[in-house]
Amino acid sequence: MNEERELAINPIVLTSMQHNTQVVSNIRSLTASLFGVAAGTLGMESYTGFVFYLIGTLIVSGLIFSFRAEGKASEYFHRPLGDLWGGDVVSGLSSFVLTWTLFYGLVRA
Amino acid sequence: MSHANLLAPPSSIPPPTALSLSQKAPLILSSSPTSSLPWPLSLLFSRESPESWTIHENLLLSSLRTGDDKAARQILDRLTTRFGAANERVVALRGIYEEALATTPAELEKVFQGYEKILREDPTNLAVRKRRVAVLKSLGRPADAITALTVLLEHSPTDLEAWAELGELYAAQGLWSQAIFCLEEVLLVLPNAWSAHAQLATLYYLSTPSSLSTLSLSLRYFCRSIELNDSYLRGYYGLKLASQKLIPLLSDSTSVKRNNNPEEEEAGPPPKLATVKKLEELATSKLAEIVRQYGAGNKGWAGLDEAEVIAARALLDRDGKMER
Amino acid sequence: MAQPIVQTIHRDPALFWWILLPITVVMVLTGILRHYAMILLQTAPKKQTLPQIRQQRSLVRGINLRTNARVLPPASFQARKAFMVSAYQEGKFLADPEARGKPRPNPMSDPAAMEGMMGMMKGNMAMMVPQTLIMGWINAFFSGFVIMKLPFPLTPQFKSMLQSGVGTRDLDVRWVSSLSWYFLTLFGLQPVYNFILGSNNSATQSTQQMAANPGAGMMGPEQDPDKLFLSEAENLEVLEYRWVLEGVEDRLVAKFA
Repeated sequence: MNEERELAINPIVLTSMQHNTQVVSNIRSLTASLFGVAAGTLGMESYTGFVFYLIGTLIVSGLIFSFRAEGKASEYFHRPLGDLWGGDVVSGLSSFVLTWTLFYGLVRA
Repeated sequence: MSHANLLAPPSSIPPPTALSLSQKAPLILSSSPTSSLPWPLSLLFSRESPESWTIHENLLLSSLRTGDDKAARQILDRLTTRFGAANERVVALRGIYEEALATTPAELEKVFQGYEKILREDPTNLAVRKRRVAVLKSLGRPADAITALTVLLEHSPTDLEAWAELGELYAAQGLWSQAIFCLEEVLLVLPNAWSAHAQLATLYYLSTPSSLSTLSLSLRYFCRSIELNDSYLRGYYGLKLASQKLIPLLSDSTSVKRNNNPEEEEAGPPPKLATVKKLEELATSKLAEIVRQYGAGNKGWAGLDEAEVIAARALLDRDGKMER
Repeated sequence: MAQPIVQTIHRDPALFWWILLPITVVMVLTGILRHYAMILLQTAPKKQTLPQIRQQRSLVRGINLRTNARVLPPASFQARKAFMVSAYQEGKFLADPEARGKPRPNPMSDPAAMEGMMGMMKGNMAMMVPQTLIMGWINAFFSGFVIMKLPFPLTPQFKSMLQSGVGTRDLDVRWVSSLSWYFLTLFGLQPVYNFILGSNNSATQSTQQMAANPGAGMMGPEQDPDKLFLSEAENLEVLEYRWVLEGVEDRLVAKFA
């Protein structure tokens, strides 16, 4: 109830929110593909690759946090934890796996 | 709005900007958005996008505003060939074009008859219904326009434009409570529109200028519009006016408070005197800051309407409190 | 047990040019084709009669009142609520007041309902047909041999799916046939579509399903408008109302203090 009232007083503009989410998801999918290329070229296998991806996304999150959100995540995101730090990690994973497999296959062929 | 482009909605464009926009007409008209190549190639090489048609529409409006009827005709023809003459929007745009060309009331009357004919064939064409209201308004028949709008709203009660227009018409007639009702409907659709909040506050302010309850409602709506947009010049202006009127009322209102009538109960308790005084100071300092920044040509403040800034400066000067 | 023996298979580099690349290109092109096919298949919303527009928008007005009631002063809110509730309960906004209380006709015989279903069918068809075709194409041309090694291990359950057509019982599951590359592209190409077609494309399933869903939304033709009105009236009755302007002047002072 309290949060609801807070939202009513300081409403969230839907279009801005969508724009921010869009920016984050674009960065995520691009970097995820690039991480896949890197992991495949380095010939990482199984857990190493996934850990590499997780570390990579964490770094990207940090970069988004400090450069795109200027260190003030709560001003740009309603729920900074979910939208910035965890946003689209899973959907990026599928494109990571795609490029990882492709480049792994190419390099190790 | 000095940086308005052709994608922005045209309603709030000041005349000089409209002129500069309409001067872009030859450039845009020289290149066709649809390709002239045969079918499969035309798909590949067309530069057509939804934006290009928005640009055409807005260009039509601004060239009509600046009297460039020839360009308007060309744009209209282009829209007609693309979307067909029966398209709802095209019909409405052609109506606007004809209205703009009509110079005498008799000609306007003819346009009006045309709308009536369209509506008899297709009563669901809301765009033409709105044009009909606009013609009624320019024919100087506000009562008929109000009736037409109420009929429209009876069938489409979520139409923002119509509610806002009706509110304006009522306000022009001095029917404040009806106008307030209309603006409340606008707020129900757009609960975060600060301009609508300020408009509603203005209506309350104008309706009964000496009643404590309406003035405090007005003050509250101005407060809300500032809360939603903390650099809203009109909000501060209104806040200052409303609080200036409220302060004397509240100071000797010990008597008013005691014989509370039920009407005032409903609008909540009146604001505290100290709060109102603080708000008045706040509005004054903010207005002074805006005027100063605008005068200094500071970027980021350049988007303000010049007339509004002049009005704010006049208000401050009248107050004799200009803090430079 | 010591390290398992690493199985190596030497593959022709031409596999890449003749299998991986064609499948990927075909998948991307199909996505784009599907996007434009969906745009083409979209039927323009059916023209409604004036009473129908009124019925629908009156309902939306009630919903607006419910969700945005906080902007209204208490007196206005109570007046509106009373009006809307009584009008809803009397069925004032119904497009067809005679049909009130009668059971709805079978959706199969109602042309409007049929149309909604057709729209959903079309969406599903645009999804299913290319998928089936491509899977058939891959199975017909590229099955029966492994083309690549996955960089991560999988459980043996995947063996039958990913190594379909490869008749080697002991082969590591990580060696997969072209079909699994198809699956990888199916799930991983979303960002590619995003970059090519813009963010709200209809090339993939998730957006696909969302596009099909509004048909089953609140004002679907299957639902009885009278029931919708009555339930909305009930919602309005029990609405917990708070005025957002209450104490706004103190909030503002506190904000700028």
